[in-house]
Amino acid sequence: MTELVVNNVQKWLGGLQILKGASFTAERGSIVALLGASGSGKTTLLRCVAGLEQPEIGRIVIGDKTVLDGERKIALPPEQRNIGLVFQSYALWPHRTVRENVGYGLKLRGVAPAEIGRRVQAILERLGLGHLADRYPSQLSGGQQQRVAICRALVYEPRVLLLDEPLSNLDAKLREEARYWIRKLILDLEICAILVTHDQSEALAAADNILLLQDGRIVQQGTPQEIYSNPNSFYSADFLGANNIIKGRVQTLDGAKATIGGEGWSLPGVVRDAAGVSGNSDATAVIRVEQISVSDKAMEGGFEMDLDDSIYLGDRWEYRLHRGGLIAKANGALQIAPGKVWARIPSDAVWVFPAQK
Amino acid sequence: MNVQTQNPALAAVGVAHAHHYPAKMPVVGNARLYRIVVIGLLALAVLTPVGLIIYQSFLTGPFFSPRAALGLDAYAYVFTDRNFYKALGTTAVFAFGMVAIAVPLGGLLAFLITRTDIRYKRLLEILVLVPMFISSIVLAFGYTVSVGPTGFLSLAMRDLIGIVPWNIYSLTGMIVIAGLSHVPHVHLYVSSAMRSLPSDLEEAARTSGANIWQVSRDVTLPMVLPSIVFAASLNVLLGFETFGIPLVLGDPNGIMVLTTYIYKLTTLFGTPTYQLMAVVAVVLLLITLPLVWMQRRLLRNARRYAALGGKGSRVATLKLGRNGQLVALGVIGLWLFVSVVLPIGGITVRAFVDAWGEGVNLLDQLTLANFARLTEVPSLVRGMINTVILSVVGGAVAVGIYLLVGLAGHRNHGLSNTVLDYIVLLPRALPGLVIGLAFFWVFLFVPFLTPLRPTLFSLFIAYVVVGLSYGLRLLQGTLIQVAPELEESARTTGATIGRTWRDIVIPIVRPGLAGAWALIMIIFLREYATGVYLMGAGTEVIGSLMVSLLTTGAMNTIAALALISIVLTGAGLALALRLGARIHD
Repeated sequence: MTELVVNNVQKWLGGLQILKGASFTAERGSIVALLGASGSGKTTLLRCVAGLEQPEIGRIVIGDKTVLDGERKIALPPEQRNIGLVFQSYALWPHRTVRENVGYGLKLRGVAPAEIGRRVQAILERLGLGHLADRYPSQLSGGQQQRVAICRALVYEPRVLLLDEPLSNLDAKLREEARYWIRKLILDLEICAILVTHDQSEALAAADNILLLQDGRIVQQGTPQEIYSNPNSFYSADFLGANNIIKGRVQTLDGAKATIGGEGWSLPGVVRDAAGVSGNSDATAVIRVEQISVSDKAMEGGFEMDLDDSIYLGDRWEYRLHRGGLIAKANGALQIAPGKVWARIPSDAVWVFPAQK
Repeated sequence: MNVQTQNPALAAVGVAHAHHYPAKMPVVGNARLYRIVVIGLLALAVLTPVGLIIYQSFLTGPFFSPRAALGLDAYAYVFTDRNFYKALGTTAVFAFGMVAIAVPLGGLLAFLITRTDIRYKRLLEILVLVPMFISSIVLAFGYTVSVGPTGFLSLAMRDLIGIVPWNIYSLTGMIVIAGLSHVPHVHLYVSSAMRSLPSDLEEAARTSGANIWQVSRDVTLPMVLPSIVFAASLNVLLGFETFGIPLVLGDPNGIMVLTTYIYKLTTLFGTPTYQLMAVVAVVLLLITLPLVWMQRRLLRNARRYAALGGKGSRVATLKLGRNGQLVALGVIGLWLFVSVVLPIGGITVRAFVDAWGEGVNLLDQLTLANFARLTEVPSLVRGMINTVILSVVGGAVAVGIYLLVGLAGHRNHGLSNTVLDYIVLLPRALPGLVIGLAFFWVFLFVPFLTPLRPTLFSLFIAYVVVGLSYGLRLLQGTLIQVAPELEESARTTGATIGRTWRDIVIPIVRPGLAGAWALIMIIFLREYATGVYLMGAGTEVIGSLMVSLLTTGAMNTIAALALISIVLTGAGLALALRLGARIHD
């Protein structure tokens, strides 16, 4: 069931357009991630959905209520949108106990005190906070504060849960745990959630759908697998994963197949974004680091390269390779001595894009 | 001034601030009506008296006189009056002379207290602010009784060396006294700038090879220069508005400044000369308004400097050494002696004696008669009660009003906020004497307000306007400390903006409100000029009583009142410190 419709939302700030027509929908029981670099407009888009910012153009429908319509001059304030928002800083009210923080939304909705107490306790228990109900936010750890913030946004069963970088204030280990249980919680409760993040692994692990934003536009959307393995632009390819970015020139072009090369090297690949790629044009190739395998023994179809160094990274070795003007990184389990090596680079892993400035 | 443009096509290009944008909430449910009504009422309260002054200045007689007509007679009179130009010149000399004394001393004091390891720092931080909290009429009177021609110290000095080597009843005397008593105003701004200066900037200079004196000269001074310039311009403004010191010290020798010129005009020909007073007030406004406007810009620049800061605390302090400590403490001690001990001590002694002079042993003269007499005169008793009511209750209500105004301007970026910004400037540009006078006229002029004139309400409204810019700045400073997400999270949880203010914002700022109340209380306690014209039978206040008693020469009574005023102010200050008021903002 579609809970959120965002249609052609555009927002200006001064003369600067910071949202250039974002459209997407989100379903109940799924998580949509808004992923992008800082300044891409993802937080602004979330705040527009929440009603904390007012776009000049566009339409937003939450549940069955139109909360924004630029043409009909509708712009409901946040409190009439029936949403829950979890802030990056958690924004727990320092003068209220955990119980009062979480119960506030129910109180505003006129729920009877006994019922408030029951529902607050139930959700706190569910997130393992039952024993902290009478503490003040300052007496909680960061992880506990975050869970209280989620309880506060969920307890009154909003139509849409909005999460603004909810994990960025947690340390690395807690973060991995948190993205697992947050996903599980949302799926169990069957709510519609929008997650804003700049962290690709967070988006890949937690979301059912990723919207990749660049410069106020949604440049690609799809499941995590699609976004990761099927980028349609250099920005998408570059933003996700660990990549080798290679500058070269198109040597041959045959439909989607192209050979890119430079001084002393040449690699077969596939064209991912045809606009601007033609025979003999400059081009940029993206190769995911994990796609290159390296061996110090000659292998059939191997691409001969020079290994400059092997760097120990704990769980793996990183190889620094070059061949002429081609410089690349790859990973492997073994230390390899500098010198001549053979690299296997599948041609469908060499993604050819128009030359980047 | 954050005027948001609705039409993107017309919007100006302002890319630089892309990431510090104010959240633009939907117009619906953003308390727009409330903001407009509150700011509109405030505009009415400020613009009515100012408008009346301007209107009155273009009349040929008092506005209530049937013979008053529109005309420039009043301007013609004032601009051809030699005394006016003399007063204008004296005022300018006074204001700049005061700045020349207060700014270097205040800057030095700020440096010693924030940047060196001077001893008794915590105590000094409070002590150096004391002169700021005492009304200048009390201070001036204190100097009269201690170092005036027949003051205690002057007499002692004459006994000792045969002559009195000073004369405070002169322009120089006035300038020195005003300069010394305005040192705290400079100290306050410069020290807070020095404190917020990130220490890493100075540390970077030190690690580059500069010694601490070079760092002070090349890094610290340029960084705090905006605050010094600001403090200087503030003191020029205060110099133009000053009333108590010229009235007490200048008047006996016929030295007049613009405010005392207005005061003397009151009864020039035996009839009210409102039109002449209005003209001088307009002239004063034309001088001070640009100053206020300039200060506002300076302050914004100063903030820009401060905003660069990283971590503010943990400043490496300059080691003064034994001799340095002695010299520094000596300088501060001497200043405190002259600007606090002399006047307050003088008043304290004077309040408990009836007669003094050469060959009179003060110990034989000790008496409580001066205070006993206070309780016998009904107007004086009322004055004390009224002062306490106005400052304690009135101060609390005023904080409530400033809070309502502060909320109306809180996270508001529309046209109404620009209006608010400019309205607040006006009362700052006018001395309390003129604001009091203008409200006196308003209560005479507006029919339905006339019954309120002989009540404390008229004084209260004038006080609220006098304290507006200071009080509003206190409140805005407190409100802005509430993180925006705390309010936004209440909104997304389902609270209207009113609920958010009630349930989140006000509870969080409550400690700040208590501190603001104590500070406003002190401001109202020490106020003397506002009530000069507004005060009537039943609405006497201590400060204005002292002004009117000056003409009768009832020194015993004035001394007793002044001491009571000091004690009340001290109590207010103790309460403010106790409540954790942020005096240093």
